[in-house]
Parts: sequence; structure tokens; C-alpha cells
Amino acid sequence: MAEQTAGLQSFIELIETIADNKYVMGDRLVEVGVSGPNLEATLAAIAMAQGELGHARLLYNWSFDLKELKKKPDIESQTGKAFPAIVNVNNWIALIASLYAANVAIDLVLRAVLDSGQSKAASRIQKLINEQNEHLIYSENWARQLLNDKGAIPSKFKEALSEAVSQAEAWLKYVEQQTELAEAGYIAKNLSLQQAFKSQIDQLNVQTLVSTK
Amino acid sequence: MIEQLEKRTTFDVFTRIKRGDNLVHIGTIDAETAELAKVYAAYTYDEEDWVEMCVVERNQLNWVKKPKGLFAGKGA
Repeated sequence: MAEQTAGLQSFIELIETIADNKYVMGDRLVEVGVSGPNLEATLAAIAMAQGELGHARLLYNWSFDLKELKKKPDIESQTGKAFPAIVNVNNWIALIASLYAANVAIDLVLRAVLDSGQSKAASRIQKLINEQNEHLIYSENWARQLLNDKGAIPSKFKEALSEAVSQAEAWLKYVEQQTELAEAGYIAKNLSLQQAFKSQIDQLNVQTLVSTK
Repeated sequence: MIEQLEKRTTFDVFTRIKRGDNLVHIGTIDAETAELAKVYAAYTYDEEDWVEMCVVERNQLNWVKKPKGLFAGKGA
């Protein structure tokens, strides 16, 4: 294995974090999505699970290539970097909240990678970003519905979203602080990922996110 | 979520397999919003690599002619 620069190490970590989240999201979409509130939502959840698992495999393989592994190992579990909010999803409300927050954050980071102008990145993730757009539309529309629902659903959703948003935000802050990523040309320079994330979440018009601490 | 189920509307799904083919009605989707109808249609009717797919809200169709129900006279 070739010696890795700090930029490359951070980039591999970044790719693995996204792959882990997609791997776990795929798993949760099958486990929880199969008991969705209606047939169409369930079918879409299962189809998206296949999409997320495919994206995870593509990203893991990219990380193996970056590590210059001669033999690609089998992917049997995540590497431990998935957001706890996604790992702990056990109901529809938490699934939509985690899916939305994670997909918005991942989309911002992948677009920053694409904007860096690396030709290898474009060939690997352009299709992934296009496919991910449908996942974003799905989770955003379901988030709006749950926020406008009756009874305890909106407050439960706000609580789940608050937790998922805070974890995604913390990750984006960490990515912004990894200056070697931009210096080595792996992501676009002068990013304001946190700001972009906040403004996208604000579009949901969530009045007050419930503090989970 | 019962509240949301009551708000679902029916969308008709139309597709074209190849350029130059007819646009064909292939089925329907019940969805809460037009955006979700597009996503549901793409995932539900994925048996072909369609060149075109669109969804139309059922109540947006302007009917020129419609068959009468077979048992219309009996109040069915």
C-alpha cells in the first residue's frame, strides 16, 4: 500500500463516512420501510434501499481503490462512522428524519467533491448524485407531511429531526475543519457546508426543533 | 398518518418506451403530492428503461367523451 498523504487519509475517511451512512440507511429502509404507511411509500422505500446499498458499495470500492488494495475485501458491515441517529432508526418517523438530514448533508458534501474538478470523482459520483435526488425529494415530502400531521406525530418528528440534524451538522463542521481536503483538491475550496445545510433544513419551516439534550 | 392518507389523490402514469413510440397509459399511482407521485411512479413502474414518463393528476384531465358505467341505469 502506498504512503497516504493527510489529504488522502481525510478523503478516504470522508468517503467511508458517506458509505457507512448509506449502508445503514439501506438496511433501515428495508427493516422499517417495509412497514410504511401505504403501499407506494413502502415500494419506494425498498427501491431506495437498493439504491443506497448500491451507492455504499460504489463508495466502499472507491475507498479501496484509494487505499490501493490489491484485493477488495467483502463488505460485511459498516466501518463505524455512520450517524447514531441512523443506526438507531426503529420507526417510520425516525427513518424519515434521519433519511432527510443525512441525505441533505451527504448531497452537499458530494457536490463539493464534484465541484473540486477531479475528473475521477465526476465519473464515480455524477450518477449517484442524480439518483440521490429522488431520495431527497421523497424524504423532504414525507418530512413535510409528518410536520403537518395531527396528534403527537409533528412533535415526535421534530424531536427525531433535531437529533439527526445535530449529528449531520457536527459532521459537516468536522469536514469544514479538515483543511487538507481542500488543499489537496479533494473538495472545493471556501465551503460553507454548515450554512448551506441550515438554509436547506430551514426550508422545511420547522418552527422549533426540540432539544434532545 | 391517517390524516395524510385522506389527502391522497390519484395520478395517471404515462410512458414512452423509445423515441417515436406512442405515449402509453401504463397505470396509476396514489400520492400525497405531485413530487411524491413522480418518485412513486419511477420506482413502481421500473420494468422498462422509459425514454419518457409523466404523471397527471386525475382531476386535471378534461374529458371529451367518457363511457357510461355498464350498470349506470341501475344506479351502480
